[in-house]
Amino acid sequence: MFLTRSEYDRGVSTFSPEGRLFQVEYSLQAIKLGSTAIGIATSEGVILGVEKRVTSPLLESSSIEKIVEIDNHIGCAMSGLTADARSMIDHARVASLNHNLYYDEKIQVETLTQSVCDLALRFGEGVDGEERLMSRPFGVALLIAGYDDINGPQLYHADPSGTFYRYDAKAIGAGSEGAQAELNNEYHKSLTLKDAELLILKILKQVMEEKLDSNNAQLASVTKDEGFRIYSDEETGKIIQELKDQEDDDIAEAS
Amino acid sequence: MSQDPSSINGGSAVAMIGKDCLAIACDLRLGSQSLGVSNDFEKIFNYGPNVFLALCGLGTDVITLNEVFRYKTNLYKYKEERTIEPETFANLVSSSLYERRFGPYFVSPIVGGINSKTGKPFICSFDLIGCIDFTKDFAVAGTATDQLYGMCESLYEPNLEPEDLFETISQALLNAVDRDALSGWGAVVYLITKDKVVKRLLKTRQD
Amino acid sequence: MSSDYSNIKDSAPIEHRFNPYSDNGGTILGIAGEDFAVLAGDTRHTTGYSINSRYEPKVFDVGDNIIMSANGFSADGNSLITNFKTNLQWYHFNNNEEKLKISSAARLIQHLLYGKRFFPYYVHTIIAGLDENGKGAVYSFDPVGSYEREQCRAGGAAASLIMPFLDNQVNFKNQANQPLRYLSLNEVLSLVKDAFSSATERHIHVGDYLEILIVTKEGVRTELYPLKRD
Repeated sequence: MFLTRSEYDRGVSTFSPEGRLFQVEYSLQAIKLGSTAIGIATSEGVILGVEKRVTSPLLESSSIEKIVEIDNHIGCAMSGLTADARSMIDHARVASLNHNLYYDEKIQVETLTQSVCDLALRFGEGVDGEERLMSRPFGVALLIAGYDDINGPQLYHADPSGTFYRYDAKAIGAGSEGAQAELNNEYHKSLTLKDAELLILKILKQVMEEKLDSNNAQLASVTKDEGFRIYSDEETGKIIQELKDQEDDDIAEAS
Repeated sequence: MSQDPSSINGGSAVAMIGKDCLAIACDLRLGSQSLGVSNDFEKIFNYGPNVFLALCGLGTDVITLNEVFRYKTNLYKYKEERTIEPETFANLVSSSLYERRFGPYFVSPIVGGINSKTGKPFICSFDLIGCIDFTKDFAVAGTATDQLYGMCESLYEPNLEPEDLFETISQALLNAVDRDALSGWGAVVYLITKDKVVKRLLKTRQD
Repeated sequence: MSSDYSNIKDSAPIEHRFNPYSDNGGTILGIAGEDFAVLAGDTRHTTGYSINSRYEPKVFDVGDNIIMSANGFSADGNSLITNFKTNLQWYHFNNNEEKLKISSAARLIQHLLYGKRFFPYYVHTIIAGLDENGKGAVYSFDPVGSYEREQCRAGGAAASLIMPFLDNQVNFKNQANQPLRYLSLNEVLSLVKDAFSSATERHIHVGDYLEILIVTKEGVRTELYPLKRD
């Protein structure tokens, strides 16, 4: 396997004879090593949830930032090489602010996503005398959640290849396979915001190695009225408790 | 621009002819460029029962010319043993201004009155060296000239009754001076008919 | 043999200085109604005392139910409008063909104008259209992009003649017993015609034709009326 690839996985913009860009494919693999992140779009708003890998009891869990605000109406969750996300977030924030400055309106979520993906493609050789900025593709994928007046609550998945798709519900990261399967089973159009919060935590609980608590999971929402908001640990804890009670009820009912 | 003598102190005036009547009006502001100095600086003067003169422009010249015309019309009265007619007065204004052809008074005057013999209303305006502009509808002067032309040209109609003429000239002046930083701060209107002169003070915005 | 000019030895140097601006006269006027907006302009195009054209339109339908005019130095005006149209196209490309709101158009124009802060477009710009609630909207700009939404605005050569008339007849200024109300389209059109025939009467750079563009939710409509040609 390595023999066949080795000739063509050096240059980032060199196609293999089969028409593949190995460095881009490897970058997609990097995401599968990252912590799980899940997003669900409902008619009331979008919920994002992430797993935080607290690798040491001495680690301050609040310093792990995997959900960030882009603008008042857009937020995003990340998985993969989260350091790479900094420049993407910066770019997204600038794009959103600039749009508001130039057009006196909120940027559309899709337009914002497109502009982030434009950045993701800049790993190639510089064009038109433009200086080459990046040595490799990004190693991070984003779940971009937002609300705008034209398309309502939306969830987008943007990956290092520069492609993006809109999803009703999407999971990325190490546990994404199992999580996505669960989402496919559980998602329906009439999901409420509350349902989505519980569903995300339920799935995280299933795919995470550690025991789920308010320290190693984080939720955020984007709604029309409140915009983007990261849930406090207490709030997350309450929902985890709710989930637990629900499961206990189910067990009691079953027996 | 700020060195133009005719727009240092600011101020505007307008006159209109109606049916057997006329109205002449001015604002009350006297300023020093952007600084407001006085809000009771009347620019309309009276030289006989039915002869009125509005003087806009450089404040000092307004005061001086008023004294000059008071002197000249009084002398006229002694010599002729009658008061001056508006048409005659217009020519007096013209020749007095032209006398200072190369060192002019920086004013734009308007004469308005009713001829005591014919009973016909008369108005005219002048440039600063005395060129008379006879008109049968309206005459304007001052720093709000453009605005006044716009207002008069669209609001004025011939043969208005005195009260309608009053309303028309008031609206014309008020709305014109509100769009001129150098005019405003109150206004007066003289409504002149053959046997009556009514002076009314108008309330205006004070900015 | 020497030429006739050979005795001119020390002629004074002649300074040639290029003046990038000129004034092409004309006047424009925008009024917003309850569910419509109009933008009118005369079609006379001048330099100094010469009439270059009696019919040179300067109010344009720029798309997305927005009408626009940039009055003053017509080369700059035309340039600003083409620039705006290109930017509008890009907005469509980048935003899923979404319609540009009039408020967004206004903000965009501010940036187009301020972008040339130190070599400005020598124009007074007015745009008109409908806002998000379907109400008539007029936005006016100074040459470097300062802007404001208004009920009405006159711009260009005869702005000083028309503006006080508008204060009086549209916003009922100095009419204490007259409550504010929206004017009907017919009332607005007759005000516009009055304003322009008055301006034509007293201003040499205004005349020939009056072109009125009317925006409603149905789209943009144009009317053309003759003005005095003297």
